Amino acid sequence: MGPLHRGLGVVRVAVVGNPSNRRVARFQAAAERVGAAERAGAGERAAGLSVEVWPWHDVLSTGRVPGAGRLVRIDSPGEDAAVDRLLRGPGAPAAEHGEILGLAAAFGGLRDGLARIEAGGGTLLNQPADILAMTDKARCHAMLEAAGIPVPPALTTPVSDYGSLLAGMREAGWGRVFVKPAYGSSASGVIALAVHGRRVLAITSVELSGEKIFNSLRVRRYENASEVAAIVDRLAPDGLHVERWYPKASLGNRVLDLRVVVIAGEPRHTVVRTSRSPMTNLHLGNARGDVAAVRAAAGETAWARAMRTCAEVARLFPRTLHVGVDLMFRAGWRGHAVAEVNAFGDLLPGVVADGRDTYESQAAAIVNGWAGAACAT
Amino acid sequence: MSIHDYLTTFAGLPVVNLSDDPRPDDPAAVAWRIDLEFEAEESAFVEALDSVLDRAGPAGPTALIVGEWGSAYDSGFPTDVLVSRAERLSGLRALFIGEMSGEQCEISWIQHGDITPILAAFPALEHLWVRGSEGLELTPLRHEGLRELVLQSGGLPAEVIRAVSTCDLPNLTHLELWLGVDNYGGDARADDLTPILSGRAFPALTHLGLRNAEIAEEVAAAVAAAPLVARLTSLDLSLGVLGDTGAETLLAGQPLTHLKSLDLSHHFMSTEMAQRVVDELPGVAVDVSDQQREEEWGRYTAVSE
Repeated sequence: MGPLHRGLGVVRVAVVGNPSNRRVARFQAAAERVGAAERAGAGERAAGLSVEVWPWHDVLSTGRVPGAGRLVRIDSPGEDAAVDRLLRGPGAPAAEHGEILGLAAAFGGLRDGLARIEAGGGTLLNQPADILAMTDKARCHAMLEAAGIPVPPALTTPVSDYGSLLAGMREAGWGRVFVKPAYGSSASGVIALAVHGRRVLAITSVELSGEKIFNSLRVRRYENASEVAAIVDRLAPDGLHVERWYPKASLGNRVLDLRVVVIAGEPRHTVVRTSRSPMTNLHLGNARGDVAAVRAAAGETAWARAMRTCAEVARLFPRTLHVGVDLMFRAGWRGHAVAEVNAFGDLLPGVVADGRDTYESQAAAIVNGWAGAACAT
Repeated sequence: MSIHDYLTTFAGLPVVNLSDDPRPDDPAAVAWRIDLEFEAEESAFVEALDSVLDRAGPAGPTALIVGEWGSAYDSGFPTDVLVSRAERLSGLRALFIGEMSGEQCEISWIQHGDITPILAAFPALEHLWVRGSEGLELTPLRHEGLRELVLQSGGLPAEVIRAVSTCDLPNLTHLELWLGVDNYGGDARADDLTPILSGRAFPALTHLGLRNAEIAEEVAAAVAAAPLVARLTSLDLSLGVLGDTGAETLLAGQPLTHLKSLDLSHHFMSTEMAQRVVDELPGVAVDVSDQQREEEWGRYTAVSE
């Protein structure tokens, strides 16, 4: 793969996204700022950046995708009801607000949409194969494990319902696990589950309402086995990935983990997510923590190791410009493990490294001709 | 909610973690903390304890904290391992069983057994802290050494409270009971506290904590009329669901101005009422921090689960 451009004139970036989503607007604004700053600094020799938006809705409905000669940034198709319905395929029922529905079908739709984008012939800034690998939790876990990256162990027995989940836990000798939808995003559908004898405790943002399950903004606790079974049984047909409980470190009486965005191989944008429940994902009303305080509590050696792990994760996806790594420190700061890897994990408003937020850093990498780590020829 | 922080000092001694391979200059002047990996083998606790004994000098540790002992959600603290080494633990003065974060094991899941043998085997023990009360048993006994007893729970059974109040603890100055919520086994009512609040149970008591209580309003009313209160120097009703009603009864009751401190933090009082408590108790260090707002589901204690 050669350089993305010759560093002259204007670099045109096509963003595949949902036009009304703030991710798209933020990238667009960042690209303008970076382009202007580069030109101000380097004059005519520097490239400007122009961004055009290619709606996911078109990709999925009419098949309109960016063609050859363009750089293509693929952003999240999420947070759009119409796009979600297209992803789930023709004839898919409309989902009620917050309803967890058709996660596997949506993954299939994403795969098809990405294939269309790839076939368009543009130069991709994030690779469809990588996006799919990161979004498929079981596959991503297997990839990381094979690469020697620390992850909590996962159940290897198939989990098709609550009964087989319990059987798998028993066989593995695990009393406490994280149950994750295989194709879910963020905390959606995730259950922190503890089982002891007849006693069960599930902590989750899932709300059970009749036959349907919803993603709620409130973390709930279920101790009634039949309710827990009902939730698991509704999630299981779309695939479940089950990991052994990993006791997370805490600070200021809040549990924490990190989202580290690795851009062009560099893990520099970090946010600490803290919570009083096991769900640390930011959108569940949790607070951002103090990165410096966490770094101090972990100690420089442990922090450096953790950052190295994040960089190693990104190296598994060398031709993808950004990778969002969710990293957990173990309770007592004894080691760390990767919880998830996010293909669209770069929305960290206000998080700045070397004067640039995640979008500006990516725009700068593009202007400077980023061509994929260790793959440039 | 859960507890997530660990003590940095215990019984006045700085905590060192065995897993950090510490080599303190004076191994009797630190609190040793054992905290095993989640679901560690049973033998690992024996090894860890023996490792502390190897490092802590001839009398063993002065203070010992045990966090996760293996599978705390599944099997109670291995009392026998400790008791069988009593001779090598002759210096033990402070013991905390079950200092685990909610991530390690939710408080209401931490399994215990009968802790009576520990008190019997360590007559010189001065501080005993226990987190969790699932399966916790205590047979009333006389213990002359004990100064401080702390039972942290998401729901402390009335039966345990009755057993504690029937113990003969002539030197107990500091008692802290986390009453918790009914849903997690905290079935005590204010009446169950009568032996303690009457002042009869523990003649040396100067600090009382009735914390994390779902029945905080009821507790406040009982405390307002309790003979014990006159000889306390500090009272701790924090972490519970105390609101304006309870605060009102507390203020309307016997004088509290002799107290050095009154901890009401994590409460549901209005800002006005919180201020009134502070204003009406000049000279008392009143803590009304961490004001909570009632949710549509009601009031929550700080630690339940």
